[in-house]
Amino acid sequence: MAPNSASDADYFRDKARKDLLALLEGVRGKKNVVISQDLAGPVGLFVKFSLLQEYGVDRVFLLENANVDSTQRNVVFLVHAEKARHVRTVAEQIKRLQRNGNVEHEFFIFWVPRRTLVSNSILEEAGIIGDVNISEFPLYFMPLEQDVLSLELDSSFGDLYLNKDPGCIFQSAKALMDIQQRHGYFPRIIGKGDNARRLADLLLRMRRELDAEESSGLNGLPARGLLPSASTESLIIIDREVDFGTVLLTQLTYEGLIDETVGIKHNQADVDTTIVGPGAAQESSKAPQQQTSKQGQKRKIQLDDSDQLFSQLRDANFAIVGDILNKVARRLESDYESRHTAKTTTQLREFVNKLPTYQLEHQSLRVHTNLAEEIMRVTRSDIFRKVLEIQQNNAAGADATYQHDSIEELIARNAPLKTVLRLLCLESCMSGGLRARDLENFKKQVVQAYGYQHLLTFDALEKMELLQPRSSATTMLLPTTGAAQAGLKTNYNYLRKNLRLVIEEVSEKEPEDVSYVYSGFAPLSIRLVQCVLQKPYILALTKGGSAPASTNTNAASTTSPGWLGFEDVVKSARGATFSIVQKGDDKAVRARQTISGNNAIKTVYVYFLGGITFTEIAALRFIAAQEALRRKIVICTTGLINGDRMMDAAIAKGGFAKEE
Amino acid sequence: LDGKPGISFELIAQTAFDEGRAHLATQLLNHEPRAGKQVPLLMNMEEDEIALDKAIESGDTDLVNYVLLHLRSKLPLASFFRMINTRPMASALVETSARGEDSELLKDLYYQDDRPIDGSNVLLSEALQETELERQTEKLHLASRLLADSKDATVVLQQKMLNESSQLLKVQEALDQEIAEREEYVGLSLNETVYRLIRSGWSKRAQKVQSEFKLPEKTYWWLRLRALVAKRDWG
Repeated sequence: MAPNSASDADYFRDKARKDLLALLEGVRGKKNVVISQDLAGPVGLFVKFSLLQEYGVDRVFLLENANVDSTQRNVVFLVHAEKARHVRTVAEQIKRLQRNGNVEHEFFIFWVPRRTLVSNSILEEAGIIGDVNISEFPLYFMPLEQDVLSLELDSSFGDLYLNKDPGCIFQSAKALMDIQQRHGYFPRIIGKGDNARRLADLLLRMRRELDAEESSGLNGLPARGLLPSASTESLIIIDREVDFGTVLLTQLTYEGLIDETVGIKHNQADVDTTIVGPGAAQESSKAPQQQTSKQGQKRKIQLDDSDQLFSQLRDANFAIVGDILNKVARRLESDYESRHTAKTTTQLREFVNKLPTYQLEHQSLRVHTNLAEEIMRVTRSDIFRKVLEIQQNNAAGADATYQHDSIEELIARNAPLKTVLRLLCLESCMSGGLRARDLENFKKQVVQAYGYQHLLTFDALEKMELLQPRSSATTMLLPTTGAAQAGLKTNYNYLRKNLRLVIEEVSEKEPEDVSYVYSGFAPLSIRLVQCVLQKPYILALTKGGSAPASTNTNAASTTSPGWLGFEDVVKSARGATFSIVQKGDDKAVRARQTISGNNAIKTVYVYFLGGITFTEIAALRFIAAQEALRRKIVICTTGLINGDRMMDAAIAKGGFAKEE
Repeated sequence: LDGKPGISFELIAQTAFDEGRAHLATQLLNHEPRAGKQVPLLMNMEEDEIALDKAIESGDTDLVNYVLLHLRSKLPLASFFRMINTRPMASALVETSARGEDSELLKDLYYQDDRPIDGSNVLLSEALQETELERQTEKLHLASRLLADSKDATVVLQQKMLNESSQLLKVQEALDQEIAEREEYVGLSLNETVYRLIRSGWSKRAQKVQSEFKLPEKTYWWLRLRALVAKRDWG
């Protein structure tokens, strides 16, 4: 019962790779692979193209391009089965190949993460279900980093909040079941938000189903019920809709700003070659999708912890990135200089041995210096500053109507639509909707400036409850004390004070609080996590004291679990609040406790349903470092999100022009 | 039998159903914890509503979609709508899968549910997909007509802006005929239209558009400033 020595990230990476390769081995001979776009990137995270080639993959096509050819007899599709549209595309392409090809193809479909009933009936309707070999590729969590697991569901935000499609909750539950299968049940499930509650319910339900499965002995599983885990402390689920405000702000950490300006996808960013210089050749053949999308003057940059410099920079506030770069440059220079002092042969050999590391560092230093300069150019622009000013005023709780002139100016100056909408949504989220007259005004100005198709955009934003008139029932804030009227929305005004969301004297150089990631604003979502994990710290903070978190180590680590002590505060955030204890067979638990003792460092899983931002990851890492003696924090999410991606879900595509 | 874990109610229920005791089978199935096994059987027994409810309970979107697919081909549209519109998850899934693929279904659904704004939005997105100006305007008119009898403030505003958009298209078409430039005016936003007009030196026309659409003074001056800078007209 202790195969859990490897970290979850490594485990999931290995498992995904092994599963995929085993499936490919099942297809004898050479084959062409057709992969859907939303899977190509994630697959690149755990398997390289060269490895696929060893397993007989000849060429890789994107499903969306519809250009698979007949060069190989075997054609393998690797596609999400949850989306009916994808399934239909697969069916069409198979039919096309059957009609045109002069070769008799063998078709294989690997459904990710499972074969669905709907996909069956679509293939049946198309009359090809008999001609294909179908397998499942159970891919759920993809490890982005040692401490970050993601489902990488790009569309989960729109699905969940706009289309109200709970598919990704179900997938989350499945993925978390994987973790439970491995480590045992989460002893406690703590959560905030209605969708979080749904997820927790699904987890409980799936456990019951598993029990039923096992005891009816139908599928030959070893009949051992799972126990509450000894290595896990708890699972904390935060629903994104509890705190939309944080995502709408411009992220101010280095990685956050890269995401805001360039965009990060599956640990990679496409950067103009003019900024970072042409890449080395080997780097551009890493993932299959690069084979097909190599046009333009972009170069892919890998952004993960394998790059030492980047792991230093990523979570820092952008203000101090220059300093760090400078320091590293100096050190590197002195390292190079040290060759002069190398006199004896052994000293020289040592230097030469280190040379490749130096060169690698040098290269990464150059990339990040250029990237930082590019970002600096953006952050110095007039519009960026104006936007930031409006955001900070909103976050600090200033009367939002004073910002309206500035927003109107931004519209007239044709600032990016997403930026404008983010500001409007921010105001709506933070102060419970806009006055109806103001909203009408903005609506008019936005459609006049950006096109009438954005009537649809506003409709979508309203459905997502991101931008609403104040009069509507769903915009009401949760009442703070005793007031009888019912509200629904997170009350930032109340929480700003009671959870100290705004901290003015934050030091960006040596941060003492998570608010450093937004230069003074602490993400509510993270504060909620702190209410569970760092109670003494939060108490000290709100009572005006400033006791650093790390001093008070032993007091509250196990004594007051769940939301205890913060129930009233947490009530003012949107959605259900819950804390569920999962019990197991008591005897076995006690037996194990006596064997292993109770002092080991336990893991806490923090699950962000509906996406997490890089700033929040940075803030969680900041907490993890403080808690390192007692806990290990693993971050899980449906995908990475930022304000622009949030807007993408709502913005209407297309216009009235003839082209496009 | 109740309270004992691990009894496969599915098997028992299946047997009961085979014996012709459908009611007993349904009763028994209520105890089966695994929705994946429960739902298909319920569908076999033609207990459609229960099947749908159980699928929704399970949270498994695939199961729900599967039941919906089945129901849609089986029931008349009206009773299909009736069945889903009391169940938010079901109607959300129907809407999602119909979007972009079956807008007729969406229109019917919104009509029956009395959601004029949603209905007119379907037409608006159809207008966006049209390539011919004439067809675009036609769809916009239809969209606006759906909103005609309502007095609700948001609806009125929405309708007003829809009308404005077809008006703008008309103006732009006229501009394209009068001014032959490399690029067309049709499809630009209002601000862009004014900006382009000033940049190309048609200040009079720009002013006319401004007053016609009641573009705010401040916006107009910003546009003018930007356009003149782009033109390098410092006079």
